[in-house]
Parts: sequence; C-alpha cells; structure tokens
Amino acid sequence: MVTLKIKRQDGDRTWFDQFEVEEKTGMTVLEALFHVQERQDGSLCFRYSCRGAVCGSCAMLINKVPGLACRTQVANVKDEAADEPEDDIAAVKQSGKVEGKNEILIEPLPNLKVIRDLIVDMDHFYSLVDSVKPWIDMQDREPEKVTLMDPSTQNQLERYTNCILCATCHGACPAAARDGNYLGPAALAKAWRFYLDPRSRDKDRDELLELLDSESGVWGCDVVYKCVAVCPKKVTPTPAILELRKKME
Amino acid sequence: MIDHDVLVIGGGLSGLRAALEAKFRGADVAIISKVYPIRSHSGAAQGGINASLGFDDSWEAHALDTVKGSDYLADQDTVEILCREAPERVIEMENWGTNFSRKDDGTIAQRPFGGAGFPRTCYAGDRTGHNLLHTLHEQVLKNKIKVYNEWLVTRLVVEKGKCIGSVAMNTANSEMDALRAKATILATGGYGRIYQRSTNAIINRGSGIALAYMAGVSLKDMEFVQFHPTTLWGTNILITEGARGEGGYLYNKDHERFMASYAAGAMELAPRDIVARAIQTEIDERRGFPGGYVQLDITHLGKEKINKRLPGIRQISIDFAGIDPVQKPIPVQPGQHYSMGGVSSNKDGETPMPGLYAVGECACISVHGANRLGGNSLLDTVVFGKRAGGAAAEYVKTVENQTEESLIDALKSEQQSIEEMMGEGGENFAELRDELRAIMQEYVGVFRNREKLEHAVEAIRELKERGKELRVKNNSSVFNFELMNAIELKGMLELGHVIALGALVREESRGAHYRTDYPERDDENWLKHTLAFFKPEGPELDYREVTIDRFQPERRAY
Repeated sequence: MVTLKIKRQDGDRTWFDQFEVEEKTGMTVLEALFHVQERQDGSLCFRYSCRGAVCGSCAMLINKVPGLACRTQVANVKDEAADEPEDDIAAVKQSGKVEGKNEILIEPLPNLKVIRDLIVDMDHFYSLVDSVKPWIDMQDREPEKVTLMDPSTQNQLERYTNCILCATCHGACPAAARDGNYLGPAALAKAWRFYLDPRSRDKDRDELLELLDSESGVWGCDVVYKCVAVCPKKVTPTPAILELRKKME
Repeated sequence: MIDHDVLVIGGGLSGLRAALEAKFRGADVAIISKVYPIRSHSGAAQGGINASLGFDDSWEAHALDTVKGSDYLADQDTVEILCREAPERVIEMENWGTNFSRKDDGTIAQRPFGGAGFPRTCYAGDRTGHNLLHTLHEQVLKNKIKVYNEWLVTRLVVEKGKCIGSVAMNTANSEMDALRAKATILATGGYGRIYQRSTNAIINRGSGIALAYMAGVSLKDMEFVQFHPTTLWGTNILITEGARGEGGYLYNKDHERFMASYAAGAMELAPRDIVARAIQTEIDERRGFPGGYVQLDITHLGKEKINKRLPGIRQISIDFAGIDPVQKPIPVQPGQHYSMGGVSSNKDGETPMPGLYAVGECACISVHGANRLGGNSLLDTVVFGKRAGGAAAEYVKTVENQTEESLIDALKSEQQSIEEMMGEGGENFAELRDELRAIMQEYVGVFRNREKLEHAVEAIRELKERGKELRVKNNSSVFNFELMNAIELKGMLELGHVIALGALVREESRGAHYRTDYPERDDENWLKHTLAFFKPEGPELDYREVTIDRFQPERRAY
C-alpha cells in the first residue's frame, strides 16, 4: 500500500486528505489518482487525457516537484523525503530517500490559481503563450511547394517544438511566482521557436523582440534553469531566453 | 443559448482543420471540446502522414495500396480524393509551420510504412501528430476562432430530420446550455477505451459516434476495429509502426523472426491486421514471452539513429517500461488502436442527416475499409476536415435559422435525465465500464468466432440493462468527472453492442475482422458495408454496396 497525501481545495477551503492505494508494478501517480477517484472519493478532481506523457494535461506538484502525474512512477517517488518546508526542487532531489516511507505528497501546480483540488486555471497560462503570437503568418499566400529547410535547422527547432504546453515549467519558475504578468518559460521558449523558424518573416521577428523586451518578458528571467530541470520533454527555455536577450543587445 | 453558423464538436486535427476552413469561407464558426484542443488524442499519433510527394510515386499507387490494405472494403471514389489531395494538404501543413523531418536536400523526409509500396510517410521524428496538432491550433489562434474549452456535448438536437444544434455541459460548473448551429460537425475521434487494452487516450470514449447514433444517424462498418501490433506491454502505449519502418525486427521467445511464417515478402512491414494476428498467434501458441508479449528489437539501429528518428518511443519505453530500446528489445503486444467504422459520412463529411457532418476517426467516409494503413489517419483528418468545413460553410448560406423551441425542449429534457442520474445506490460507472472493457477485449478482439460474439452480445445487453440504474454519487458541480464518465459510459455500451453484433452477423474474415469459424474473405456475400441504426431493443443492421471503380478485388497477399 502507498499513501497519497493530496491537497484539496473547494472554494476558499483547503485541506489535506490521505488515501491508501494498493500499489501495482509499474503504477504511475496518475493511475493511483484514478484509483482514488473511482473507488474512494469521486469528488477528487484532476485533469488527464493521454496517460503517455504527450498531451500535457496532468501537470501537478509531486513531492514538491512539478511534473506529469502520468510519467511519474509511484515506486520512484514514494520514498522521497519531501517534507522540506521550502518548495525547492533541488532540496527535494538531494534530500534522499526515506526507506519505507511509502507516501506521496500531491498538490496543484504552483503559480496558477486553483479552481478545485488539482485543477488550476490554465487560461492564464494559455493567454501568456498566445500573447507572443505563436504562429506562422502565411499572408494569404497559396502554398504550392514546401519550404526547403536544412536538417540541422529542423533539429534546432525540434528542441522547442517538442513543448507540450503542460505548464510544468511555469509551476517551477520563481519569476512567475512573483510576477503574474511574467510571460514565463513556455511562452518565451515558444517565441524563440518562431524567431528561429525560417518561415517567419523579418517583420514578425522584429515585432517579437519589441514585445519581449521588458521586465515581464525576457528580462524577468532569474536564469536559474528550474524550467529546464523539470521539463518532461527536455525543452530548454532558459537558453532560449538568453538567445533572445542577445538579439536585443 | 449559444449561437453559431457552424459548430465543430472536437478539437483534434479534423475538428481544427474543419473550423479553419469554415472560417476561411466566411462562416461564423466555433469549436467545442471536452478538453483544451492540444490535449486531444491526435497529438499522440507518432509515425506520420502519407502523401505521394516522391517524383516516382503517384496518387494512384497510394490509392492502390490503400484499397488493397482495406481488403477492398474502402470506397474507391473517396480513396481517390484522399490520395489526390494528400500532397496539397501536407505542403499546406508544412507552410503553416509543422516541423517535418528533412532530407539532406531540405525537402520533407519520408519513411516506409506497412502495406505501402513506397516510402511515402512524411514525419516529424516520431511525434508527427503532436507537431500537426500544435500547428493547426496555432492557426486557429491566429484566426481567432472561438473555442469552448472543457464542454461535453451530451445530445444532438434534431428537428424535422435536420440537425439544428446540440446540448452541452460546461464541465467547469456543470451548467447545461443549448447550442444553436445551422451546421454541426462531429470530430470527436474514436472509442478505443471500450477495450481493456488500447493505445487510445483515456478520453477516447466514442461520445460523438454515440451522439449521432442516438440521434438516428447510421453507423457504418463498426465491426472493423484496428488492433495495433505493437503496443507497449502493460500500458499499451503506442510504439509506432515507424520503429519497423526504420528497420525494427519482431522476435518470439525462440528468437525467431516469426513474420517469415505469415508474410514472407513484407515481413515486419505487412499491414497492421496481419502483423497483429501474427503476434497474437505467437502468444496464443506459447511462443511469446511469459505474460503475453513478443519483442520489438531496434537495438541494431544504433543510438544515433534511434535518437534522431525514434526519440519519442525511446522515452516512452524508458518512462513506462523501464527499458532503453538502445540496449534492449521492447516488449510489445497487440492493442485496440483505431476505428475504421464510424458515423456514415461522405466525401464532404456529410452524414445522411442534413446539418450534420462527421470527419476524422469518428466518421466512416470509408477510406480505410476493413483495415487502415498506417499514416492514412492523419491524412484523413486534414483532407476531409478541410472538405467538411468548406461544405458546411456553403451549406449554412442556404438555411434559415431555426426556432429556439426544440433546442430549449431538448435542454430541459437533458437536464432532467442528468438530474435523474444523480444519487446514492444503483450501479457505479467504473464497475460497468471495466466489465464492458473486459468483454470487448476477450470476446470481440483480434480473433473472433460465433460463440464468443454471441456471448458478447448477450453480456452487453445485460450491461445496458444495468446501465439504466447508473447513479452518480458525487454531487459537486465543479469538474464532476464521475458525472461525465457516467454520461459517456451510456454511449460506450451502445457502441459495444453495435460492434459485437456487426461482428457476429458478418460471417467472413476481412481485414481486421477475423472469424476463426469463417477464415476466408467472402466477396460474393460480404463485399458490402454494414449500417447500424439505433433501435431501443438493439441495433438494426442493413447493408450497402461498396464503390469499386479502379481496382477489382484480388486476393490479398504480402
């Protein structure tokens, strides 16, 4: 048996509930949550879709570390010492194991308003991403042939197109914690992805730099690489932010 | 009441593409989706999208492969459209920003896929669906298309034989509303989760197919269920056909490349139905590994190639099976993957009901017939998504707005039936669902026969009776997942019934439908589409001719 200690919220009321779940080989935190929702407490809320770490629905705080519930094995986290009062990712990762602890602390993703239980207001996160105009503008031209692209450019882009917008990075970001208007790692990585793209126009690139040249843009980043550390798809927002800064200097 | 010219239900690839086209044609269009669009299952598609881009390839060759792959059940007029329009749609996606993998000359890279005579599957690593989905979503943002996120449509509203809108629940607060639309486009994906072992996302419960069925629209060819040969043992997460396309081997426990006994020519790249049956046979005849799997070995491709071409499945294998495919073979078993059947629909996504369209996996436009080729489903979504969006935009110019009366009546009756489902006691959705999934897996799976199917039909009938007593104990109005599950389960039970009955009546083997008691294809009696109509006592079946023009049915061998 493993114990899930889950932070609950209903309106202004918050509390912790503990549930015992029978652990099976290969069980993920998401599966354990389903076990609770379907067999013990139907009111427990959390988002889900693919269960295979590609859709980005189930980001939450697991033992104080933001991550995807579907990608986190119960066996890997149940003995982590996560009782540190400060939610510092590095502290948790280094604080080692407590043999036989058998408990997982699950809380909603930080830095976004909680709607209920583990469901946070993603609209705010999406609006930050949308504000960098993350799209190619074809300008009504009829596409007749493909844009030729060097495989190495494609590889460079891929490091950013792999982003699934799960907001794990946003939950780990100290700048997002103190400034609700800060665009955040996902939006800035997305901006760099379009800046890099040969299909973008120079005009789009210039506009983008202008938009991001502020304390809520690239200059808000603390450069502590927490977003890079937690990204489940190995996207690297911090280097993207540094590249964007260089373009402005 | 919410009011739009065109309402698209579902925010995956086909829904987004349909909405874009309707918007380009000047329609007032909105998308309604039970999850935020980029969480849709389209994003899980790995291997690629087919298009005859090569100078020595042709749409005709693509069409022949598709028709042969379908075991001649596909309608050849719609297959022609699929294959003719493929290059245009892929080029369009590239221009919108999809990060396709490239050849050294900068053009889109293509890989070999099962049942294809040419390497025509375009891909973005092994995350093709993800890349396409994000690209279309970006264009939807750019074109400022309204999206109702996290709304579940529970019913279509029909007046004088026309679809005039729907009723939906905003899952964030459980409030219901009526949606008036001159045209409604279903783009809700498949029903994989009625099977115990499926590659599908947990949200794939077939709700849109059930909506159409309950509204009186026929479902077509539902007994044709694709089982993907290689799903990760245990979780059944998809391991792309691209792994074999890049040169992967399948081994049984005696380290034999057993495909030699089933498809000596195509080996691992035979179509999915054939490879799935081969793997299942190996497992059933005790040549699999303990626990019921075989091995997919890509170790010989080397780390560099795996990281470049198959990084996603490497990560999946590490995360979910604790195995690094660079060093060790991947344990795989067949699992439900795709529905060839769906809502009866034509080359423009029109269903037999005016005002209602269906595209993507929830539809049966009949381009996949009895077995879909890998790389053709992503193609299906963009080709027919565009066509349906365009057709709907033209259609709405010709119809008057409907009165609100029927919509308000439907809203009230829907509110009442949900009210009646709330309460203690009765049946629990999770138990019924698990029983349904076990029945489908055991009795309506890769190998079928009369005895199994009769048992399935009877067992599902019983579950449907119990389903009338479903009760939802959780009375929270904020994201009541128990309620959503209960609503969708009713549809899942109906679809299970249609699939099992269609499979029982079809006494032949064709494509993915394999009857051990009728192991041969029977063109004389069964070269025809199955139609299923909702009746309270159970589905009523009827049959329709297959459109055959260019390619005459031949024996299918690989």
